[in-house]
Amino acid sequence: MLTIENLKAAAGEKEILKGLDLQVNAGEVHAIMGPNGSGKSSLAHILAGREGLDVTGGSVSFDGNDLLELEPEERAAAGVFLAFQYPVELPGVNNTHFLKEALNAQRRNRGEEELDSVAFMKLVREKMELVSMKPELLKRQVNAGFSGGEKKRNEILQLTLFEPRLAILDETDSGLDIDALRTVSEGVNAVRSEERAIILVTHYQRLLDYIEPDFVHVLADGRIIRSGDKTLALELEKKGYNWITDSEAA
Amino acid sequence: MNQSEGTLIRQLVSDHQPAETSRDENPWLSVLKKEAASWFCDMPLPNRKMEAWRYTPIEFINKTAFSLDAEEAPFEALAPSDIEELLLPGSETSDRIVFVNGRYAPGLSCLETGNGITLHTLAGDSKLPSGFKRQIGHADLSGRFFFTLNNALMSDGAVIHVNKQGSERRRLELLHITVGMPDPVIHNPRHLVVLESNASLELVERYTSLGKSSYFNNAVIDIHLSEESDLLHTRLQEESELAQHLSHLTVRLEARSNYQQVSLASGGAWSRTDAQIIFNGEHAHAELDGLILAGSKQLNDVHLEVLHEVPNCTSREHFKGLLSSNGKIVFDGRILVARDAQKTEAALNNENLMLSRSAEVDTKPQLEIFADDVKCSHGATVGELDPEMLFYLRSRGIPKAEAERMLCTAFANEVVSRISETPIRNHAKRMVLQRLANQGEMA
Amino acid sequence: MSTTAEQIKSYVESGYEHGFVTDVETDIIPPGLNEDVIRQISERKSEPEWLLEYRLKAFAHWQQMETPEWSSVHHPRIDFQKISYFAAPRKKDGPKSLDEVDPELLRTYEKLGIPLDEQKALAGVAVDAVFDSVSVATTFRKQLAEAGVIFCSISEAAQEYPDLLREYLGSVVPHTDNFYAALNAAVFTDGTFVYIPKGVRCPMELSTYFRINASNTGQFERTLIIADDNSYVSYLEGCTAPMRDENQLHAAVVELIAMEDAEIKYSTVQNWYPGDEHGVGGIYNFVTKRGDCRGDRSHISWTQVETGSAITWKYPSCILRGDDSVGEFYSVAVTRGRQQADTGTKMIHIGRNTTSTIISKGISAAEGQQSYRGLVRIAGKAENARNYTQCDSLLIGDKCGAHTYPYIEVKNPSAKLEHEATTSKISDDQLFYCRSRGLSEEDAISLIVNGFCKEIFNELPMEFAVEAQKLLSVSLEGAVG
Repeated sequence: MLTIENLKAAAGEKEILKGLDLQVNAGEVHAIMGPNGSGKSSLAHILAGREGLDVTGGSVSFDGNDLLELEPEERAAAGVFLAFQYPVELPGVNNTHFLKEALNAQRRNRGEEELDSVAFMKLVREKMELVSMKPELLKRQVNAGFSGGEKKRNEILQLTLFEPRLAILDETDSGLDIDALRTVSEGVNAVRSEERAIILVTHYQRLLDYIEPDFVHVLADGRIIRSGDKTLALELEKKGYNWITDSEAA
Repeated sequence: MNQSEGTLIRQLVSDHQPAETSRDENPWLSVLKKEAASWFCDMPLPNRKMEAWRYTPIEFINKTAFSLDAEEAPFEALAPSDIEELLLPGSETSDRIVFVNGRYAPGLSCLETGNGITLHTLAGDSKLPSGFKRQIGHADLSGRFFFTLNNALMSDGAVIHVNKQGSERRRLELLHITVGMPDPVIHNPRHLVVLESNASLELVERYTSLGKSSYFNNAVIDIHLSEESDLLHTRLQEESELAQHLSHLTVRLEARSNYQQVSLASGGAWSRTDAQIIFNGEHAHAELDGLILAGSKQLNDVHLEVLHEVPNCTSREHFKGLLSSNGKIVFDGRILVARDAQKTEAALNNENLMLSRSAEVDTKPQLEIFADDVKCSHGATVGELDPEMLFYLRSRGIPKAEAERMLCTAFANEVVSRISETPIRNHAKRMVLQRLANQGEMA
Repeated sequence: MSTTAEQIKSYVESGYEHGFVTDVETDIIPPGLNEDVIRQISERKSEPEWLLEYRLKAFAHWQQMETPEWSSVHHPRIDFQKISYFAAPRKKDGPKSLDEVDPELLRTYEKLGIPLDEQKALAGVAVDAVFDSVSVATTFRKQLAEAGVIFCSISEAAQEYPDLLREYLGSVVPHTDNFYAALNAAVFTDGTFVYIPKGVRCPMELSTYFRINASNTGQFERTLIIADDNSYVSYLEGCTAPMRDENQLHAAVVELIAMEDAEIKYSTVQNWYPGDEHGVGGIYNFVTKRGDCRGDRSHISWTQVETGSAITWKYPSCILRGDDSVGEFYSVAVTRGRQQADTGTKMIHIGRNTTSTIISKGISAAEGQQSYRGLVRIAGKAENARNYTQCDSLLIGDKCGAHTYPYIEVKNPSAKLEHEATTSKISDDQLFYCRSRGLSEEDAISLIVNGFCKEIFNELPMEFAVEAQKLLSVSLEGAVG
């Protein structure tokens, strides 16, 4: 589904990715771990089409198409979803309105029929239960005045609502208490399926206690330096990142 | 011409054309003064229809026959012991440049020369480097009545030049003392402060008086901050309660320079600051905190312009007004962000606390923005002491007057506490307390 | 209301969608301004003598005045002798009923989305349609009359309610007030008159729809609304004009009077032709609007959405005379192309416990220049006055400008005033977030800008809030480079 080959990227003068390879197939859950500043979040943003990060080499293909050629909204319509580490506040923009506009824009883009208000509300209520989100958050402004946990739930609500083919969760576990972490994970697990791939970008093992990955990759200094199964994450937790980065350097 | 057109002050200027009085002056200064005098004659007197003078009446200029101080300035009779009471505690022997009635008083000044600081004066110092002459002569006279008046009459001033020195920041006090004269006098000191690259300085600019008398202090101070220089500027205006005070301050900031000002204006019957902060180089930063006090029969006006001419500069301006009795405060703040001055961040705030029914405040915080990628804000508030807070204090046994004083002091302290040097900060606190005690007619 | 890409696209293709010209036979007084023209206007309207005298007095005063020059609004000098001060669709007599209105005019209003046929009209909205200099139709008059509400053109009021008109006309905006108010007082041709009697809650929304059609004319209408004790009225005005490459002058005067416990809600959706992207043509909209909260506990609220006009210059104001009276000003102004807007409000607190709220949202795009100018004055006797002011500016593009000039004058210590202002642009983070959720850049901007204006749209009557949002999207179309 997603093939990243020798991806190189820079932010201004600074090299961030230095030749990254990754293959993600439908149905798989990949965890990308790594120390701070290793380029994890940059990778997530590049996949979603963030400006300000220059791809200087390599390729990313999604279902055989060049993902890097697409505008952010086209990627969303194609089924790429990024759950932000810091969801953006949109003052004055009603959350329901935003969700409906976004969902219908994606559907339109795919040539599907748009949902009317009734169908949309039914759907969104259903999904909200799934992520234990308080209904009043629908009436509020997008992310404005939301607590950290509420913002993350709002991201996961969008994940369940948009049903993307590839979901990238950028440090979704950061700043969550244990209950919020559990409900967020339940939301993610609920969308796990054979047609869908998930990339979890995380610093810690604890998210992986709830969402069990098929593959774990360690990203350091702009490259994936080690890949393995879920046991790799456990080992990292025990020994720290230095264990690998040092052994690589040796 | 009748009186309403400023006959008296125009007469003064034409009576003192440099040709007649320049016997000991530098020729270049005479040229400047002559030019300014010719501008001045054609200028209309500021009036309420001019936006910059909308709220600030200037009747005094028509009513008072100011004279220039006699050549034999009174400071010659002053001994250091005479001014002791005016000095900041603990600063008796520290570096200071003293001007008495607008004239440099070497006998009262003490400045350790070398170590980065050079001092010239306008009067008597014919060796003033031409670069400084240019900077003084470069002034834009158009439309600035009192600024032009200063240029036409300027007789003395300090030119302070600071080079990068050791790691320690030096403190220098620029002290203005007016000694009461029988008739109202006008002083027109003209200062220039230049910080070279990487230089730093703490400048304390004070205006005070010996004895109560009526005079008009019309000062100009230009500050030039070269790249990566750093100036801490404390301004204390504690003129006689009968005086008029107007200071024109211009600060130009080159790249990566830093300017911090704390000002406290409490004296004078009529007092005004016309300040301009101009960003000439990128990544420079300015912060200004001011406290404006206006009590019985006082008008205190601050006009502040912050001109973001280049990208990537930040500024913060916070002025607080405290009004008692029939005091009047005018605040006119303007942030301008020029086209292309992207990534500017600027915030302007004016808060006013009114303690009396007969006080008046007119405030005008403005933004003019011509670039899109900027973060700018301004705010203004006007209000009286919070009755709930007062009640709370009183319910804890504090008498009303004391509770009011506590809350006012707290209001003022937000600015005063920004003064880093303890003796100066303590002095500023005393200024506030004195003002509050003097009024005695709160609410 | 959804602002979808298709809708935006259709708006682009239509450009300024109200730019057509109606082909009707026009009765016009040739350009020029002198006493004789004023007498002709008055005569054509068979006005009482006192009204002619009022006009002539205003004209004499106007002649003494100098054309104002404003610091942040620039336009070539207006030649007041080249304007025609009266243009009216030709007719035999004033229309007594809608059946007598020229069908061409009815079609014009229908095309503008304002059907005058009562069967087709928006439920609960009565309309006075002003075409060039005169009122051509007023709907639902019968139903309103049953409630005791007077809703008619100001010309009719001069015939039918001369005492009321004489008592209140010019009592809020005197003919000496300013240059354009003086001009209006001399030459006003029509406008709307509303009187809500004591204790009556006006059963429907009242609205006036202004249309400039003829070329070389100015529109000088006058609106007078009186809400007697304990009454309520919500009034809305809309305006459009054909696309012409000359500048046309619209200099209106609006006076509101709220007596004890009365409330007037006045909303404006202003969409005069703004001129093209090079600044050719467009309406000069120089309007004096003022509300007088005469009675205790009275309440006047101005809401405006200003998207049109080459130049907008207006400061809907409130004089808070009555104790406990309330004044409000909610504004959205959009400038793009070469549009200039200088708008804001004045809140004059005189009575005790008076409250005012000012919320102004300015959006500047392309080369648009926009200024907020506001005055809050607390008089010495205005105990416990409260004011809250918020001015936010949103900049789209690096050639536009947004300026804020608030004046705050306080002479009473019990006053509490807060003023806040911010200037910002749509952040890249916000745009990217929306786009990564599938919205196009255009849709994302429209969404964010509508969010920015939400507080104001909430103040508009429902149908007009929808209209306003649509207008906003159209105005911003093409604003992003």
